[in-house]
Amino acid sequence: MEETSPRRRREDEKSVHSTEPKTTSLQKEVGLLSGICIIVGTIIGSGIFISPKSVLANTESVGPCLIIWAACGVLATLGALCFAELGTMITKSGGEYPYLMEAFGPIPAYLFSWTSLIVMKPSSFAIICLSFSEYVCAAFYLGCRPPAVVVKLLAAAAILLITTVNALSVRLGSYVQNVFTAAKLVIVAIIIISGLVLLAQGNVKNFQNSFEGSQTSVGSISLAFYNGLWAYDGWNQLNYITEELRNPYRNLPMAIVIGIPLVTVCYILMNIAYFTVMTPTELLQSQAVAVTFGDRVLYPASWVVPLFVAFSTIGAANGTCFTAGRLIYVAGREGHMLKVLSYISVKRLTPAPALVFYGIIAIIYIIPGDINSLVNYFSFAAWLFYGMTILGLVVMRFTRKDLERPIKVPIFIPIIVILVSVFLILAPIISSPAWEYLYCVLFILSGLIFYFLFVHYKFRWAQKISRPITKHLQMLMEVVPPEKDPE
Amino acid sequence: MNEDKDKRDSIQMSMKGCRTNNGFVQNEDIQEQDPDSRDTPQSNAVSIPAPEEPQLKVVRPYAGMPKEVLFQFSGQARYRVPREILFWLTVVSVFLLIGATIAIIIISPKCLDWWQAGPMYQIYPRSFKDSDKDGNGDLKGIQEKLDYITALNIKTIWITSFYKSPLKDFRYAVEDFKEIDPIFGTMKDFENLVAAVHDKGLKLIIDFIPNHTSDKHPWFQSSRTRSGKYTDYYIWHNCTHANGVTTPPNNWLSVYGNSSWQFDEERKQCYFHQFLKEQPDLNFRNPAVQEEIKEIIKFWLSKGVDGFSFDAVKFLLEAKDLRNEIQVNTSQIPDTVTRYSELYHDFTTTQVGMHDLVRDFRQTMNQFSREPGRYRFMGTEVSAESTERTMVYYGLSFIQEADFPFNKYLATLDTLSGHTVYEAITSWMENMPEGKWPNWMIGGPETSRLTSRVGSEYVNAMNMLLFTLPGTPITYYGEEIGMGDISITNLNERYDTNALLSKSPMQWDNSSNAGFTEANHTWLPTNSDYHTVNVDVQKTQPSSALRLYQDLSLLHARELLLSRGWFCLLRDDNHSVVYTRELDGIDKVFLVVLNFGESSTVLNLQETISDVPTKLRIRLSTNPASKGSDVDTHAVSLEKGEGLILEHSMKTLLHHQKAFRDKCFISNRACYSSVLDLLYSSC
Repeated sequence: MEETSPRRRREDEKSVHSTEPKTTSLQKEVGLLSGICIIVGTIIGSGIFISPKSVLANTESVGPCLIIWAACGVLATLGALCFAELGTMITKSGGEYPYLMEAFGPIPAYLFSWTSLIVMKPSSFAIICLSFSEYVCAAFYLGCRPPAVVVKLLAAAAILLITTVNALSVRLGSYVQNVFTAAKLVIVAIIIISGLVLLAQGNVKNFQNSFEGSQTSVGSISLAFYNGLWAYDGWNQLNYITEELRNPYRNLPMAIVIGIPLVTVCYILMNIAYFTVMTPTELLQSQAVAVTFGDRVLYPASWVVPLFVAFSTIGAANGTCFTAGRLIYVAGREGHMLKVLSYISVKRLTPAPALVFYGIIAIIYIIPGDINSLVNYFSFAAWLFYGMTILGLVVMRFTRKDLERPIKVPIFIPIIVILVSVFLILAPIISSPAWEYLYCVLFILSGLIFYFLFVHYKFRWAQKISRPITKHLQMLMEVVPPEKDPE
Repeated sequence: MNEDKDKRDSIQMSMKGCRTNNGFVQNEDIQEQDPDSRDTPQSNAVSIPAPEEPQLKVVRPYAGMPKEVLFQFSGQARYRVPREILFWLTVVSVFLLIGATIAIIIISPKCLDWWQAGPMYQIYPRSFKDSDKDGNGDLKGIQEKLDYITALNIKTIWITSFYKSPLKDFRYAVEDFKEIDPIFGTMKDFENLVAAVHDKGLKLIIDFIPNHTSDKHPWFQSSRTRSGKYTDYYIWHNCTHANGVTTPPNNWLSVYGNSSWQFDEERKQCYFHQFLKEQPDLNFRNPAVQEEIKEIIKFWLSKGVDGFSFDAVKFLLEAKDLRNEIQVNTSQIPDTVTRYSELYHDFTTTQVGMHDLVRDFRQTMNQFSREPGRYRFMGTEVSAESTERTMVYYGLSFIQEADFPFNKYLATLDTLSGHTVYEAITSWMENMPEGKWPNWMIGGPETSRLTSRVGSEYVNAMNMLLFTLPGTPITYYGEEIGMGDISITNLNERYDTNALLSKSPMQWDNSSNAGFTEANHTWLPTNSDYHTVNVDVQKTQPSSALRLYQDLSLLHARELLLSRGWFCLLRDDNHSVVYTRELDGIDKVFLVVLNFGESSTVLNLQETISDVPTKLRIRLSTNPASKGSDVDTHAVSLEKGEGLILEHSMKTLLHHQKAFRDKCFISNRACYSSVLDLLYSSC
């Protein structure tokens, strides 16, 4: 807390509530270690444990599969480096949002927050909680899928629990994050070490002729890349909480430069470990790859695998909640969402309204039948906004020369990432065109209606409704607008 | 003007934010206060900066108030109490949700595993589809036809023996348990088939014949020369052999007739064979043999095979003391007793310890069942056994054995009537241990096909029976289109021709050789009826056996009633069988009426069930024209071989009624809740 103490409020303000040591704003609680944990914790979700097959399914042989995993890690690092430049140049929370605002003005930023807040973030939070729940329940339903009701009940419990924990305390939230990330790294380490031991014992059968039968068509390689990059999604998570980082100029880039290569190495070594005991076909057909691995290698201690995979999944959910809550908070602060969403709990110093809102939307998403398709169709939108943000980086090199850039990446990096995102936006649409993509675009644009009604023209009647709501919610939740953090 | 200012503010703010490290901009609050102070007179007081005036008598709460103002009001009971309530409500609901999850998990019945969830399809690989134009079906051929199998809603494919074997037809004398016979393809073909089957979400089970090997098997060759551990791999016994005449150690007979002892010139001893002399029995009293067999089980399971049909298990052990078996007809002169049926086989079948061996195999398989979704199935082939002995294969409540012994009761019915079918059903259902899972076959490689056994009129009714009985339906390839036996006499094979008649090539289409092969010959002749009885033709005919089969299997897959419901036998007579499928919580009941008699019949269902409505809707019928129409329950007329699935709702389900209670069966008791779309067992 030393860093923040000089920034305390002025004496006159302090005198009012001299017992309050801190300003009512989000505290800088996230250090380098927590930052790395957030990156590693959200990127490594459950995918690498349950179905790390999307890459292999397209390459069909071991060698290219490992190469693509590595290449995707490099691409993710490049993307994250661009975000490191942006994050240290514009030290505001909210991920893409402040950068889009800075580069292109409020409308793209508004559309980003609109799409993210209403669909992308809560639905992915819901999905992660659902897959956690399904994973846990499946252990009790051998031989069939658990009934939907059970899965949804437990997922709702997970959402409530995670949002409550995060609304109670930032420190508790990041503590939980660290614990689960540690658990995740434990199981990753167990898998990697046993894989290396098996490798040393000579289980290299699957690595011989590892390029035989590879798919070399452009289509399959690009699909492999597309799927591989999804496994690294989450590399920009730390940019959502820039304001809460201690010493962001150092810690943001450090966390990125350490975190993402760490994930890449883990992914590659885990794949190698899997291949020591499974043939590519077996890996493709396993319903839960890590469990199969555990069963063949760790028995009779194979029960640790599902347990830790469950930890890993809930850790990823917590990470998503931790960061996405900040986006709502920032959007509320800018007036793009109800103001009350940007308010901060007086006693707990957390963005409680934002988190509650996020939790409620996520719970709404788990009620209807199946949201997987929704998430799939909106996935191209994620890359649309990544691409635009990095395009913004290039644009600002020319329009905002005056801004201080503690980190300046070579210009070819953002250009590569932009090209990759153009590809990733178009690839799914071209490979399987569907009307749903059009609906997604229409949904994104429909945000403009709200923008002009409530943000641009600010109709008086809208304010008349929102104001009393804000007032009563404030008193109910004990939240106030964040106080300035003067320098 | 206001709007402009707001906009400017937010942009300004973001610019400012770029240069400094404070995330927040002071003027936000003011921005909200401004309109307030102008529009709403009562909040005038707010324009006085709150923090500087601690005496806040006049202050009213307003949107965007700072904490100093907030604290004046947020402690009031009207905010504090709801806040506390909401918080604790959240905490409580987390526990409630977790509690509800646990509760549902506890009351959930055991779910149906893959071998229970859908039909099995038994393929005789030499006759299914030829991919390499040699007139013999092969593994690649099966792979080519997986789409067809998927279209039948099959869940499990069962391929009969394909091991490397010198025998031309049966392949039940295995030369190498870890090799595919070259006529079926290579091990690579098999691996591809397993992958393709799994890719389609299907499962694959294979035959396994542990009792004996071929006399060409390396083990036997080593055993003859008494080399090392192989010496006791087979059952050897001293016997006298003089002038080409062997005096066997006892009177035991082989299944195909004559003594089951064969003198071996090399070892100068007799070896025991339950079947042909080319099929010496393995010595399962030798632990090394048991280990070898388990090794083979593991070999195939690690290839990805989902289960086995264990063949001829009752022959695994024989009495150690070689006591003579007792003649059926005691007055027969012992030397003339040569036929297998002339002895009671008390010392050569189902010996004490045999089930322990099977259970041991089960344990070996269980090591591979731990992976999620990879339960390995064990079925046992049991032929010519009493019902009681058959049921022992289901295992005991504390010792797991086979998932089910294959039920051939319907497959061996030679005369059809309502009574015989009813008998076949009840003898299985009444004797099956509680909680176990039934299964039904209507044919197989060893029996004459249904069409030839009882007549093609009954094909549809039989298939309807198969899919509406509780348990796993098992279809032998060709039964879905009503294939019959071939009728030929001079086969170039050295076996009992009768056993080949039901193994003729699958009839795919109208082209030569019924689309089975592009070669100019087939290993067995194709049935001459293939121009009318084939997959291609039947696909397009709405009234075909194939279309009904697809409808039935779809109904079986979709209706919880058929997969999990109660089964209540209502009545039988010379012609018909009547039963219902029902489940607590589902407000409809399937009433199945089938006529297996030799002529048409009229049924009065009102006599059988008291509260049945007068009109019932036909859900599915063997006569597609009547599907969807109504029948009058006073007089349901059924043609020969006609079957109907009637649907209606019933207030008191039959298994709750005293009169039917002992005629109702269920394997895995469960009730359905339509509100939660959930099965629960506490009912």
